[in-house]
Amino acid sequence: MDRRMLAIVAVVVVCVLALLMALAKRKVSPRSGPALSDSVYNPYPPGILPPDLNSEIDRVQREMEVIEGRALARWHGLQPPILKGQPPVLMNVGTEATETLGELMLFDKNISPNRNEACASCHMPYVGFGGPIPSVNLTIIAFPGSVHTRAGKRTPQRHPYSPFFPVLQYNQVQGLFFGGNFFDSRATGYLLRIPDAEQAQGPPVDTQEMGLPDTACIAFRLSQAVYRPLFEEVWGKGSFEINFPHETEQICATPGGAAVFGGSTTPIPLSAADRTRANTVYDRWAQSIDAYEQSAQVSAFSSKFDAFLAGKYKLTPEEMAGFKLFDGKGNCNSCHLDGRGTTLKSNQTDTSSAAMVNPLFTCFGSANEGLPLNPRDSFYYQTTPDAYGFTANPYGFGYRDLGLGTFLRSGFGSGPNPNMSWKQYAPTVDGQMQVSSARDVAMTPPQCPSTDAPGPYFQKGFFHNGYIKSLKQLVHFYNTRDKYAYPVTSGHCPKGTTEKVDCWPMPEVRNNIDMTSGNLGLTDKEENDIVSFLQTLSDGFTRPYLNSDTFTGACMRGGSAATQGNELLIPTPTLPPCAAVVCGVAPVPNPSIP
Amino acid sequence: MNRALVAFAISVLSGSLSAQESPTTAKAVQVRIIQGPKIELAKEHLTIINWTTNNPGGSPVHYGIVHYGRDPKSLIETAKSPIRLNPDHSSTVFRVRLDNLEPQTTYYYTVDSMEATGKSDGVKSSVNHFTTP
Repeated sequence: MDRRMLAIVAVVVVCVLALLMALAKRKVSPRSGPALSDSVYNPYPPGILPPDLNSEIDRVQREMEVIEGRALARWHGLQPPILKGQPPVLMNVGTEATETLGELMLFDKNISPNRNEACASCHMPYVGFGGPIPSVNLTIIAFPGSVHTRAGKRTPQRHPYSPFFPVLQYNQVQGLFFGGNFFDSRATGYLLRIPDAEQAQGPPVDTQEMGLPDTACIAFRLSQAVYRPLFEEVWGKGSFEINFPHETEQICATPGGAAVFGGSTTPIPLSAADRTRANTVYDRWAQSIDAYEQSAQVSAFSSKFDAFLAGKYKLTPEEMAGFKLFDGKGNCNSCHLDGRGTTLKSNQTDTSSAAMVNPLFTCFGSANEGLPLNPRDSFYYQTTPDAYGFTANPYGFGYRDLGLGTFLRSGFGSGPNPNMSWKQYAPTVDGQMQVSSARDVAMTPPQCPSTDAPGPYFQKGFFHNGYIKSLKQLVHFYNTRDKYAYPVTSGHCPKGTTEKVDCWPMPEVRNNIDMTSGNLGLTDKEENDIVSFLQTLSDGFTRPYLNSDTFTGACMRGGSAATQGNELLIPTPTLPPCAAVVCGVAPVPNPSIP
Repeated sequence: MNRALVAFAISVLSGSLSAQESPTTAKAVQVRIIQGPKIELAKEHLTIINWTTNNPGGSPVHYGIVHYGRDPKSLIETAKSPIRLNPDHSSTVFRVRLDNLEPQTTYYYTVDSMEATGKSDGVKSSVNHFTTP
């Protein structure tokens, strides 16, 4: 396309955008996107969205501003980095400068069309960088995007220790996939060779998350950031020498997926050279965030368990009992590797003498644990075009989350698979989700010291679809999934049973269900002991976990961990067949998925 | 600091920590059934068969396999379920799901297991049977 053509296209884009914005002004707040009121697009039936959603989003924004302010102060206190040596290195302060830059980026809400959504909007430090809004964790489980009526399909995955995951690989000897980032491993690391960095490139341009329409928008917004000088100190003075056309601001203020873009993922008209520079900035964005996420601030190795390994903390009787069960009868460490040998004798006691340094409590693999479909997941309801002409999920309840299987097929709801030789394995991994590190699974703000009722507790959502609402339920699910299996969907357990207590609805995806657990024979006390052990994996014991003091919301109180959240169960509607765009893509699931 | 420690430190600092991937453990000389197979669960919609072997070693994920059918001489159906080995456990429990069998029907079955690569562990049980509720 020559320059004259580019100019014509640009003028057309500007005109269309201007028209769209003029129309949108009648119903769309220019600063914060569609508000959640009856007068604007809202695809959710009554009772699906939590009533405090707007105020909770505002709360998290205020908390992010506090953390951003602290990071800015730390940056201003840094000595200017000086390049020394050959190859040149930012001597003395290069590490801290890069990590601080990544922190400033992670909490920067300007990296979204409406300047109202940062990575941290869904990942706050006081919950181990998991979802920070209890009512969202309790209901729609996926967090609202920059356009608040849009939301993803899964819970925000905690990102401490995610930098340690290797590049996604298919191990021919073992016949298994390892590594990657995201629940479906779609951040493979194939290009940057750091899956965590490639993960950081997803949400800013995810239509249901931060929602920028073009990766070059990140370079554009960073060029306006107050911390631009730090970026240039770390990555080079000429980083932002990009000729952005004048309409860039308008384009970047329009959410991705808007009909006006006509499906284009590069609506900003840049020269090839400028596009390459913008891509480089986006790679630097990713690497900086990876540096922060791998830093001692985030992947801290500062838990009670780390102190125990160092001989500086004695586990309580309950914690020790839970540790032994974690390795023994519970068999948790077959996937959540804790670095211990567990050659079990008849009394199932850990007899090993050495511990691996810094165990990560994951095997970097994936598994289908057989979670029931969660009918509260916001994704099922985004079936009609929003104010921008975007429809997140035209298939409604015909969507099934096949996780890694859908990614290998480059299927709907995932991303393109960069390795065609992997596609053949899709039927062997349908339903599989990444085995997250168990570290920080129990982390909560200090004033709400538990994840479990009666509390005071902080309401979390566990697993990829947030069906499980407490750690007690999580362990009970592993323990009794098969013992209390019923051929029903959520909300339809038989009379006389209680869902999540003595009734587990059928799995969303029946294929490849991991049978390592499901009928462990743990007693009620043994379940509680494992919960006690999981609580020893929260960072912040040997030294403070930075910014864990920033939660300003309310703790929850009362009830029972076993039935936590059950008051908000809703009956799953009669499910239509799995949409062809999910289950009809070759190589198709085997057996077929209803 | 000796060389091994330096190498380990580099491995940790580089974020590779490859030693924490599930290891491919040594294959057992012979995989034997220690207990079972038996019916763990028999409901209208779901039957689970389990058995215990010595730890077969090899690929960290194994599949338990059930060959089954209504005719003991023609076990034409197959069900398989993955489990993850705990490399330091001395024994391994295999559990296999059979979904939506016909009610009040007698099925005959044998069990086997294999690595995720498809390589058989070389274990076979005698033909057993059960009747669905």
